Amino acid sequence: MRVAIAEDQVLLREGLARLFEDGGHEVVASLPDAEHLPAAVAGHRPDLVVLDVRMPPTFTDEGARAAKQLKEEHPELGVLVLSQHVETAHAVELVSQGGFGYLLKNRVLDVGAFLAAAERVAAGGSALDPQVVASLVSPGSAGDDPLAALSGREREVLELMAEGLTNAGIAKRLVLSERTVEAHVRSVLMKLSIPESGDSHRRVLAVLAHLTAAQIQY
Amino acid sequence: MSRSSLWPWVLAAVAVALGVLGTVLNVLAGSHGEPALQWALGAIVTLASCGVGLLVAVRRPGHPIGWLLIANAVLLGTFAVSEPYAAYALQEQPGALPGPEWAVLWDQSAWPLLFAVLIAIAFVFPDGRLPSPRWRRVVFAAAAAVVVFLVLSFFDSAPFEAPYEDVDKPLPGLPGVFGLLWPLAFLGMLAGLVAGAQAVRVRFRRATGIERLQLKWLAYTAVLVPLTLLVCITGALATGSGDDGDVFTVVFVFMLGAIPTSVGVAVLRYRLYDIDRFINRTLVYGVLTLLLAGTYAAITLLVATGVGSGSAWPTAVATLLVAVAFRPLRARVQDVVDRRFSRARYDARTRIVGFLDDLRAGRAAPEAIEPLLREVLSDPRLELRFFLPESELYVDARGWPADDRAEDGRVRTPITRAGLPLGMVLHSLVEEERPGLLEEVVEAAGLAIEIARLRVELRRQLDEVEASRARIVSAGYEERRRLERDLHDGAQQRLISIGLALRHAQHELGDSPERAGESIDGAVREIEVAAGELQELARGVRPAQLDAGLTPALRELAARAPVPVQVRANGERFPQQLEAAAYFIASEGLTNAVKHSAARQVTLSAERLNGTLAISISDDGIGGATPNRGSGLRGLADRAAAHGGTLVIESERDHGTVLTVELPCE
Repeated sequence: MRVAIAEDQVLLREGLARLFEDGGHEVVASLPDAEHLPAAVAGHRPDLVVLDVRMPPTFTDEGARAAKQLKEEHPELGVLVLSQHVETAHAVELVSQGGFGYLLKNRVLDVGAFLAAAERVAAGGSALDPQVVASLVSPGSAGDDPLAALSGREREVLELMAEGLTNAGIAKRLVLSERTVEAHVRSVLMKLSIPESGDSHRRVLAVLAHLTAAQIQY
Repeated sequence: MSRSSLWPWVLAAVAVALGVLGTVLNVLAGSHGEPALQWALGAIVTLASCGVGLLVAVRRPGHPIGWLLIANAVLLGTFAVSEPYAAYALQEQPGALPGPEWAVLWDQSAWPLLFAVLIAIAFVFPDGRLPSPRWRRVVFAAAAAVVVFLVLSFFDSAPFEAPYEDVDKPLPGLPGVFGLLWPLAFLGMLAGLVAGAQAVRVRFRRATGIERLQLKWLAYTAVLVPLTLLVCITGALATGSGDDGDVFTVVFVFMLGAIPTSVGVAVLRYRLYDIDRFINRTLVYGVLTLLLAGTYAAITLLVATGVGSGSAWPTAVATLLVAVAFRPLRARVQDVVDRRFSRARYDARTRIVGFLDDLRAGRAAPEAIEPLLREVLSDPRLELRFFLPESELYVDARGWPADDRAEDGRVRTPITRAGLPLGMVLHSLVEEERPGLLEEVVEAAGLAIEIARLRVELRRQLDEVEASRARIVSAGYEERRRLERDLHDGAQQRLISIGLALRHAQHELGDSPERAGESIDGAVREIEVAAGELQELARGVRPAQLDAGLTPALRELAARAPVPVQVRANGERFPQQLEAAAYFIASEGLTNAVKHSAARQVTLSAERLNGTLAISISDDGIGGATPNRGSGLRGLADRAAAHGGTLVIESERDHGTVLTVELPCE
């Protein structure tokens, strides 16, 4: 996998590069801001771009805007946005396009899961940070919470689905058999009235759409 | 009574005496005298002119109008005597009185003097000056015409007019050539009359407000007089008849009466020359004197019959009672007189008193005094300005600084109470209309104005407190934002990168364990840096040194400053909150001094001073600091105000800056 990195903090940038290299990937570009990212992407044609949400010059949402622009210019490119803290609005908007990942920076320390998520995004899948998912799934105050019908296990499965994991990934994470996971997924989709689909990305979209719609309701 | 104020009375008495003498002679003249109605008309005109002239001359001895009116009355008096004198001594009882020919001469030749007086009045009414200096030439020309006319009349060689054609002239006649001057002098006088009318017209056009009303009546008369005169003359010339006596008399009497009457109307009805107050006072004190004298007499009499005469008691008791009664009685009488004779003054005072009652009872807001004054003084442009002693600013009722241009034509009358400035009234020029009314009303409304001023001051202070509270809250929010940014972008990222370095070392343990040690060393160095950063951050939140007291905290602050800082503090402890406030004020002041004033040396001092903790930050920088430039000083002022303290800035350009904050610490 060919990776381009945009991160203003030198230490973190170098750490990330080493992380990908240690994982057997090739870092083709390493930039301190988002300004030269489009040129680097056009030149090096990476499979994945990892970038920080907050970068110079204003330290607000340069990364998010650059990510959007890259995705428009290169729909097949995987883009993984790293953030210091949860910003649900950006996260959902970006992830629902596919080939997008949105993770908190802390996740990089769980090297295995982080690299798996990065690979998933590079391959056109999704990766949504569990904290973002949790903030979407957390029950609202209203009584008719559709998630209230889910069992604890089903809720766990839903969250992992939302993170972008496949059935196999969920089974591995929850230490369950793949068949059990499939049953849970069917049950969750039925309870939330989401049509079943073999495509894990489309499944994520459906779940996210459902969750955000539910969010807006509350 | 001084000599100058005696003269009007003497002259008026002369006029009246002449009138009385003339009336007697007219009665004596019998059928040869003037008809009674015409005589009465003349008498009224004379008395009116005399009365109005007397009033004005007594009140305004320096003003020509009064004297001109009295002169008019005296002149009329002379004619009132000369005409029946001649009729009596030549027709009714020939030879009864000496020198009747002089009376005829006066009666038939002196009348241009009457015109002269009327023209003079028209020239100088109402302010006693000519409309402009250019008019002086016109005055000279008119005066010359009158003099020529008088000389020609008195020394005319032609015989007297009927019925005295046969009477010998007492003065020699001029040679015939002088007859050529007649039309010239006549036209000159006529021109004088027209010029007088024109003077009034010019003034009338220029005048505004009350002066216009005062001039209105005279303006009509002044235009009508020469017009009527012209009509008469052209009529007489056209018919060719010399028998225009009746018409001429009517015009003459009308003119003689109209001008003093118009002046009288202006004086009495439109309060010219402050006469209404004079009449008002006269009435009040007249009635009062009568009432008190009556009371005094009655009491003296009553008590004297009781205790017997010769005792000092009746006098003492009467004096005491009268003295006690004076003030309330005066107020009562004044009230009655005002109600009857000065409606505007009475109404205004009643409204203000009523308003003050409402104010005390809580039925009215003190700010309503402004519209009330506007209404009472019938001046829609009237506005109040309140003086704020703290900022030495004049503000309007909303508490906003007033931006009043001097050229907006309004008069500024200051309002004071107990010698201190309260504010001022901006109002249109109404002084001539009701002299003293404004001052009287404003004085009566003083309490309401004072309360309104205090409320405005309070509102401004509240606004300032609100604004400073908002600034403190937003400064707090900014501070949190900065902390969040520092934590997220600093410590958190550093910790993550340390984590990554350790992961890398973990990875290296498999391939090249000897290099893993280096990676771990790097990570530990990073941890040291991160710890330092966190410590710095924590100090920004609250310096730990403060636990040991303000003085050590200030010394630490000084030690970390980029310029030499001297600390003067004796280690005295203060309440924790106060020490923290003092520390942050010193810290912000020091930052300001370093950042903005190019200081090379700063002194921080903290000491107890008159029940306050006084913190001062003085530097040797460029000076010129103001609380409005740069929010740093504003923030300091807010911090000080939040603790009930004050900030004083001394910052002359090129002489460094001294910030002194005093926080109450009792």
